[in-house]
Amino acid sequence: MLVTIDGHELEVEPETTLLSAIRAAGGNVPTLCFDERQAAFGACRVCLVGVEGARGPLPACTTPCRDGMVIDTHDETSRRVATAIVELVLSELPEPPAPHTELAEVARSLNVGVPRWPGATHAVAHDTRHPYLAFQHELCISCGRCVRACDEVQGAFALTATGRGFTANITAGLDAGFRDSTCVSCGACADTCPTDAITEITLLPL
Amino acid sequence: MSRNLVELVRRTHADNAPTALEVLKAAVADHGEITDEDRRAAAAASGLPEAAVYGVSSFYDDLLAPRGARHVRVCTGTACFATDGGALVDGVKAAFGLELGERSEDGSVSLAETVCLGFCHSSPAVRDGELVDAGVGVIERVLAGSVQEAAEPEWSSVLEEGVLIRPGDWSGLERALGAHTPESLLDEVKQANVRGRGGAGFPAGDKWAFARASPGEARFIVANGDEGDPGSYIDKYLMERNPALVLEGMALAGYAVGAEHGFILTRSEYPRSKPALEQAVRDAHDAGMLGEDIQGSGFSFDITVLEGAGSYVVGEETALLACVEGLRGTVSARPPFPAVRGLYGLPTVVNNTETLANIPFIAREGAAAYAALSPGATPGSKLVCFNELFARPGVYEVSFGTSMRELCEELAGGMRDGRELKALQIGGPLAGILPASQLDVAFDFAPLAALGCMVGHGGIVGFDDRTNMRDLARHLLRFGAHESCGKCFPCRIGLRRAHEMFTADVPVDRARFEELLEALEVGSLCAHGGGLPAPMRSLLAHFPDELGLA
Repeated sequence: MLVTIDGHELEVEPETTLLSAIRAAGGNVPTLCFDERQAAFGACRVCLVGVEGARGPLPACTTPCRDGMVIDTHDETSRRVATAIVELVLSELPEPPAPHTELAEVARSLNVGVPRWPGATHAVAHDTRHPYLAFQHELCISCGRCVRACDEVQGAFALTATGRGFTANITAGLDAGFRDSTCVSCGACADTCPTDAITEITLLPL
Repeated sequence: MSRNLVELVRRTHADNAPTALEVLKAAVADHGEITDEDRRAAAAASGLPEAAVYGVSSFYDDLLAPRGARHVRVCTGTACFATDGGALVDGVKAAFGLELGERSEDGSVSLAETVCLGFCHSSPAVRDGELVDAGVGVIERVLAGSVQEAAEPEWSSVLEEGVLIRPGDWSGLERALGAHTPESLLDEVKQANVRGRGGAGFPAGDKWAFARASPGEARFIVANGDEGDPGSYIDKYLMERNPALVLEGMALAGYAVGAEHGFILTRSEYPRSKPALEQAVRDAHDAGMLGEDIQGSGFSFDITVLEGAGSYVVGEETALLACVEGLRGTVSARPPFPAVRGLYGLPTVVNNTETLANIPFIAREGAAAYAALSPGATPGSKLVCFNELFARPGVYEVSFGTSMRELCEELAGGMRDGRELKALQIGGPLAGILPASQLDVAFDFAPLAALGCMVGHGGIVGFDDRTNMRDLARHLLRFGAHESCGKCFPCRIGLRRAHEMFTADVPVDRARFEELLEALEVGSLCAHGGGLPAPMRSLLAHFPDELGLA
């Protein structure tokens, strides 16, 4: 089938998502909950794009291409809403994300600086009992990438989403840390984490 | 949740294992709170990994509030709010010296909030143990420890012959098994153009056709009885007073789409629903209308009754399926739609209970008779219900196209005690607010949508001159933030920020608020975050002076 992305036509296979098509065409839209090694999740809503004839912006990661679709990655409403969402995300963290993180990079790409939202931030809570993995819960944005890496890639099922609404977070095992979970120390969670909420550490200098 | 997890659940389901949620609910009922030992037991029994069980145990309201010997649940629904502005909640908190969600140190008493008990016809309502009490004097009775069972609402139909209040007698299924092939029944339902009664209004026949056309080793019918809309007690009426009609609709859906098993999920806030449905399932078995080879037709169908655990968003279809599987009740992105990949990854029809209650009439009388129930309007009839501020609250079966004025003034008798109607919220917390000045609008999908409102599920909550609209905005946003499933970012964070704007001491920056509403409307994954802006938009349009805007 044929789709048009920002004015350029592209032949795609059925079932291709808008995001894959956009990236195949050399374009890009920012994402936070997407990792190409995992099933699309559709949670962050930062990859919204305009599609001709649609009622409103559509998430590129979970929307399949249809023949003849005309996609606009610069759609004004989509970018405005994506920017507002990233500002909301920064506002839930008690401190700005480290500059090298994916979240910081996405925020820079949308020109989101210091969030203008006063209000609650995530409670500071650290799991530092594991020799190779550390979890700073206050930096977690519930993108679910670590849970999917653990479930879908590693098959260890050591992680889970917790809580709901603003208090949603991620934890290992029965919330007693990585060490007391079925974690196999593969590091896939830290590898995919876009905020450094989960990081790889070492106890010994190697 | 990952697909691997759903596959794990599917495999354990085949062994008839209890779900993790069922094990955790039983633990709370048994000893008032969930311990790690309970979680490990739930994991062992259900086959779910321990971490996933922890996730479930941290999601549902019923699993979170620790229970004392006496567990008092106060309704914080919109009808109770309209009646007393939160006086019952404040009174009970003060009297027990506990916050909602707290248990006394000696374990003798615990308080929790619940939304909503479905006694909106006699608000405010409270559940003390298993007993629901409501109405004048309820605070005093709770404090005196002498609650009494509240009266159930009245119901009636304005139609010559009621369709949805006619007791289900399985005559629709009997006729269909004799006169219809599955294909011709599906055609009849498509012809009847049954719009979903749960809120979204999607044509039921189309859902059925998609599921029927989807390949799968089995298909399922799931009845959505998770009537979470505060102010609505329509499904409660159907499930408790006319459960056979809903079950018959499920069986007809199964016949049409080629499913042999149905699930109906009711709410834990309605303690009488699950027993009533289970009794109706047993009665149907006894009458030979459920089970193997029904009436010698070769069609087999059975129904499992399940109960939720306190989550509004579980009323959304993908979250509902997650709850049926015993997982966290969070929303999944569509596509894939449940008709293609639903329960346990198999083709599934999810219909609201009232939608299904329409089907026996269509099977018996046909699409033309169905259309004649609401001449010149959306086909079929609709159940509506009114809150306690009306003179004659209760459940009414009405025709689409009737004016809201007629419904409110003639049917429900207007506001009681000579109060003045200020505004209505029709169809749940995600619906716009209709000011009294627009009461001549017809009760139907298109006319209400034109005013930023909706049919929704049909619960009608009237507010009188005592309700301050800033308080209402705060009430709705608190509900919205509390019930957000936490999956999509705009809803998870945005509803919290919106609620904070209405609890802060500074005026609400209107431009900033409207930016936030746009992010919620456009960005949210489901109708929860996407819909809560609707009442906010109405309040901004009709009552800006009351909102404390800057």
